[in-house]
Amino acid sequence: MFRIPRRVKYSLFSIFLLAVLWEGAVDFSLLDPNLCPSPSMIVQNMFRLLVYNSLLLKIIVSSLYRLFLGYLLSVAFGVSLGILISVNQYFRTMVSPILSFFISVPTLAWVPLFLIAIGPSEETVVVTIFVASFFPIVYSTINGIRNLDKKYIWLAKIMGADKQDIYLKVLLPGALAAIIPGLRLAIGYAWRALVGAEMLTTGISLGIGSMIYASRAFNDVTTMFTGLVLISLIGLFMDSILMGELEKRTVRLWGMVK
Amino acid sequence: MALRKHIKSFSLFSLPILLILVLWELLSRLRILNPTLFSSPSQILSTLFELTLATGKTFTSHSLLIDIGVSLYRLSFSFLIALLIGLPLAILMGRSSLIYNLVDPIITLLVPIPGIAWAPIFIIWLGFGDPTIITVGAFASFFPIVQNVTMGIRSIDKRYLWCAEIMGARKRDFWLKILIPWSFPFLLTGVKLAIARGWRTIIAVEMIAASLSGLGFLIFDARDYLQPSVIYGGIIVLSFVYIALESLIRLVEKRTIEKWGIVLKGGL
Repeated sequence: MFRIPRRVKYSLFSIFLLAVLWEGAVDFSLLDPNLCPSPSMIVQNMFRLLVYNSLLLKIIVSSLYRLFLGYLLSVAFGVSLGILISVNQYFRTMVSPILSFFISVPTLAWVPLFLIAIGPSEETVVVTIFVASFFPIVYSTINGIRNLDKKYIWLAKIMGADKQDIYLKVLLPGALAAIIPGLRLAIGYAWRALVGAEMLTTGISLGIGSMIYASRAFNDVTTMFTGLVLISLIGLFMDSILMGELEKRTVRLWGMVK
Repeated sequence: MALRKHIKSFSLFSLPILLILVLWELLSRLRILNPTLFSSPSQILSTLFELTLATGKTFTSHSLLIDIGVSLYRLSFSFLIALLIGLPLAILMGRSSLIYNLVDPIITLLVPIPGIAWAPIFIIWLGFGDPTIITVGAFASFFPIVQNVTMGIRSIDKRYLWCAEIMGARKRDFWLKILIPWSFPFLLTGVKLAIARGWRTIIAVEMIAASLSGLGFLIFDARDYLQPSVIYGGIIVLSFVYIALESLIRLVEKRTIEKWGIVLKGGL
């Protein structure tokens, strides 16, 4: 018999309670529905947007497409740069001061520059996502390699491993214990940056951030809340379920973290 | 010897930056880089200098010092609000399982939403400018404080509680000698994250909440007038302000928890 875990029961109860209180407050006109719509209005609106040409699905898919494009680029460049910085001392001294400057800049502060350089298009959003997720990936890769027991490298060398073997069979798998939590952190950053970048980039028509920003023109608070609900649910899904499962199946399974 | 080592490490640190600056300057002087996109370092410097001297009295002209001050004022205001609401809530959540179970799921739902996504709603509720920016900033700083302090209080080792009880500790001793010292490092972690989050959020919201001042508005406004040197200058200032804020927190850490021996020197 399938039993619902206690935590889930509590969560469902508390969210239900909040929804009932909120709904009641709107129904008894303690809250103005034009300014703060009730949960039922938000769900209704979500359904309406879903049914109408499956607009909501298109919006979600185009946002996720941008997210994964920027994120994948970031993973590819971030992990390679992290490895390069870790193994080459000159490269490290050259690049790390520049990195520590860039990491202190809020990601969305780059958007005005990208808007001039790239234009108000999808590419601006993708590049912003790339920048947002880049640093956690680079730093987690560096940490992973730094914390790797040097004996593994010596051992591999003694047993006659060539450079390629050391990179692919020692450094990369060894660093995964740190890289995968870094990937989890990065997708959270990327998701936040995506919403912000879409709001600031006016040239794109489909996107969760654009949906929220566009509803400002119509004072459509219900659609704004619909966007917030989507952001929250998709963000939670990616963090807890997607990346949590990845962590469970890899580093936790291998016993590399507790 | 020590001096030579310092000089060497300093030159190793600054050489790459210098190299990039020289290359950048050369390329933009030779017009290889598009000047409407990449202003040269000397241009950025002179822009920063001009902005520092400007008074910011007219409608669209900025004054760097005022912009920095306004952004920092918004940050500290919103941080204080977040602390004043977050700390009592965190103590309640840490001490009572019932409240924890009721509130934690809602916080979990709200955390993935970036502050800037709330901005349009708050603009409708509160109007443009400071009220919206400060509220959204407080909203963003609120969660790290609540989550960290709650975790700190809930993680108090039960054995300490038993010991204190056996030795006849009073309520006041429990608060002063167990709860506060134990959860203080968690509070500092929360504060650090809250300031980082709040800063990023305030800069972002300044861009859309039409505030007429603030660093975020400075760089977003420069986009309209195609002034890349202002954007670059703003980004540099943003980075330096953040580094200054970070070292301030680091100083507090050194003076409190490291000195009191709650955590190891230089972190774990």
